[in-house]
Amino acid sequence: MAARDVLNSIKKRFDGVIQRVDVPADNRLYIYVQPEMIKEICRFVFRDLDARYVISIGMDDRQHSDSFIVAHDFSFDRLNVLASIMVNLPASQPRIDCISDVVPGANWAEREMHDLLGIEPVGCPNPKRLVLPDGWPEGVHPLRKDVPWNYVPPDYDETKEYDFGAVPEGCVVVPFGPFHPTLDEPAHFRLFVEGEIVRGCEYRGFMVHRGIEKLADSVLTYNEIPMLAERICGICGCVHSVAYIQAVEQAAAIQPTPRAEFIRTIMLEIERLHSHTLWTGLASHILGFDTLFMQSFRIREPIMWIAEKITGNRKTYALCVVGGVRWDINAELKKELQGVLDTLEKEWTQVVKAVKGDRNLQARTRGVGIADKKLVKDMGLIGPIARASSIPIDCRRDLPYAAYGHVDFDVIVEDGCDVWSRLLVRVREVFESIRIIRQCLEKMPETPIQLTIKDDLPPGRIGLSSIEAPRGESHHFVVTGEDNRPRRWRVRAPTYQNLQGIPAMIRDQQLADMTISLGSIDPCFSCTDRMEVVDIRSGEKQVYTQEELLRLVRQRND
Amino acid sequence: MQLTLDALVLGSVNVVLALVLAPLFEGILRKVTARIQSRQGPPLLQPYFDLFKLLGKEDIESGQSPVMQRFAAYLSLATALFVAVLIPMGGQTPFNANSDVILLIYFLTLSGIATLLAGLAAGSTYSLVGVSREMMAMLTLEPLLAVAIVVGAVHTGTLRLDGVLNGSVYSAESFPLAGLMMLGIVLFALQAFVGRMPFDTSEAETEIMEGPVMEYSGPKLALFKYARMVKLFVYCTLFVALFIPWGQTGFYPLDVIVLLVKVSVLVLLVTLVAATHARYRIDQVIRYYAGLFGLALLALVFAVSGW
Repeated sequence: MAARDVLNSIKKRFDGVIQRVDVPADNRLYIYVQPEMIKEICRFVFRDLDARYVISIGMDDRQHSDSFIVAHDFSFDRLNVLASIMVNLPASQPRIDCISDVVPGANWAEREMHDLLGIEPVGCPNPKRLVLPDGWPEGVHPLRKDVPWNYVPPDYDETKEYDFGAVPEGCVVVPFGPFHPTLDEPAHFRLFVEGEIVRGCEYRGFMVHRGIEKLADSVLTYNEIPMLAERICGICGCVHSVAYIQAVEQAAAIQPTPRAEFIRTIMLEIERLHSHTLWTGLASHILGFDTLFMQSFRIREPIMWIAEKITGNRKTYALCVVGGVRWDINAELKKELQGVLDTLEKEWTQVVKAVKGDRNLQARTRGVGIADKKLVKDMGLIGPIARASSIPIDCRRDLPYAAYGHVDFDVIVEDGCDVWSRLLVRVREVFESIRIIRQCLEKMPETPIQLTIKDDLPPGRIGLSSIEAPRGESHHFVVTGEDNRPRRWRVRAPTYQNLQGIPAMIRDQQLADMTISLGSIDPCFSCTDRMEVVDIRSGEKQVYTQEELLRLVRQRND
Repeated sequence: MQLTLDALVLGSVNVVLALVLAPLFEGILRKVTARIQSRQGPPLLQPYFDLFKLLGKEDIESGQSPVMQRFAAYLSLATALFVAVLIPMGGQTPFNANSDVILLIYFLTLSGIATLLAGLAAGSTYSLVGVSREMMAMLTLEPLLAVAIVVGAVHTGTLRLDGVLNGSVYSAESFPLAGLMMLGIVLFALQAFVGRMPFDTSEAETEIMEGPVMEYSGPKLALFKYARMVKLFVYCTLFVALFIPWGQTGFYPLDVIVLLVKVSVLVLLVTLVAATHARYRIDQVIRYYAGLFGLALLALVFAVSGW
């Protein structure tokens, strides 16, 4: 009983502090503790029990328990346990001890909690605004239940600008983004550069918030959310859709059909194939190696076609429903998919051979963007970043889901801690994905692909789900609710953690290495940006406000 | 010393050749690159269309100093064309009597200056990064061609263009060690002279967004692009004149064709290297140039010692 073991070691140290415990399965643990002790417990779990920090979640539960709930999620990768350490905070004064001096990777999550829910992290070392737009008034917290999803405060000031910190002495500012050829999505890094050396940076992102979580707990229903979930990311959409569905299924104790689990596994791996081949191409392009860029994309294309043939779409698969999947893989598709895999394996072998022997690529990537073991641990870095620093974490093995328990595969690990190692991890993982899909196709049982669910899902249950996305662990937290929709759904995309490691990875490096260092985490800003949209576009002579833009758009439509 | 009609005609023909043919070689480069990348690639004449398109666009003043920006674009193309005037393209070396290799070296350096001016005129952070990279690169790269030319001058004892250019790097008293070394060195540096991958650090689109050129658009951008194409053609021609001048028939049209064949081979070489390499970082670039420069100095010592 792994979850019990974890619980007992916490109990032994903190007797009497634990208020309530729920162990719904052997691999899940929910502990409610006294708010004053949260920091000590997190320190114990993170440092002494060596758990990996996943994310912190804030929730407005005033309607049900007259309190705000904060959950710090940790993963015990070697024990296969996901744990949530939770506290209830009084509705009148939601304050909680900041844990980011103990768990540095919690900084963003705590600032986000402050922005969106007004839960104040006491003693936060960097309490700056993170998610809300600069002109958003203080004291309005959009994720609270009493704020409607489409609410715009009347005193919202569109012209207000972000207050950046001071520039270190001897440095000039190189603005990187929001628009830069290697950034596919807007994010701003204010680089402090001395000569050609980057000495530090300040990040301002969250420029394309879409309010997805808010929509989920106020507008959409359980089976509509996967459609939105897979639009969180333009590349690993299926991951979010499956992660959400698994969290719901887990909360409601629904076991999807076996065949559905295999089909989910296959589609997740197809997604990893196209994502890794895409990344190899984009990374090459960043380095100016356009031949590998073009070849990767050519090799990737048949994967997109087969995905379209199975699901009707190249990218957004619309795969999941609660209790199953929508699309089956019949004998014809199976044969075709096997053919695609054979070709891919052959062509990718050549690519890997060429890449491994390329000294020019190594000259640009070795020793660049170093993320050592300490940084990985502190910031909760995940996926290929962690594996390239010889930390063998992979949710597919550590927290098995879907059909991953039924297949053999290796967790690829490299020890360079640099961009080169990340490149090797990714190109080698392609072969593991091929292996997984082949086994799935063989072992797939003949069962229905969906359950029929007649009852309402029980409210107030918690579900946690972690999925190994191409970029790292994608973590979803769901609390089931009334009206056929969750009370709270929190998405933690891998980039949310990995991006927090970037300032350390680019420090004291050449400016030229900035782009590939950033590229090496395979950043996905749309996954990270998650709240209300407020968008300001400047025309040549006039600054359009969002309202004016909307008016313009509507005029044209009329 | 006076300008002869012959020289004027020959020089003008060179300019026309450079202007007319440069986009074609760019087209070849793009087409071959595309084939290497499993792409169809643009039509061979696409660079001509691109230039026409850009030339027809609105001429927008931008950057910190629009006047300097305009001047830099003119200077860039003008210097490339002046080099074309000075070197032989199939026929005799024009302006033999009125010019020497020092002038040639000046013009070669001036084209780098044009890039610097362009970057300074734009005045943005990224273009300034580009300027500093270009400056570092120039300081270590430009001497290489100068050394190659001087080796020829040492052997022939003259600074006259026709004397130095006509393969005289090899005309040592005994084994032409210095000449062969310079052949290798300049061949390794050719990629950098024409500013292509992996040495386009000062423009590096994915790092500093084209650096010095970032504020350019429309006709001025056309001039810069044109200059880049002409540079590819002219540097290849100069390489031919310096190191592989043989195969001349004396019949002018045929000699032009021979030249074009040689240039094509060089362009293909440039294409191949560009398509198979990732961009180097500026410190790596400088180290590479510095290595070549060290060798070039050694070659100069050999040349002076009669090899």
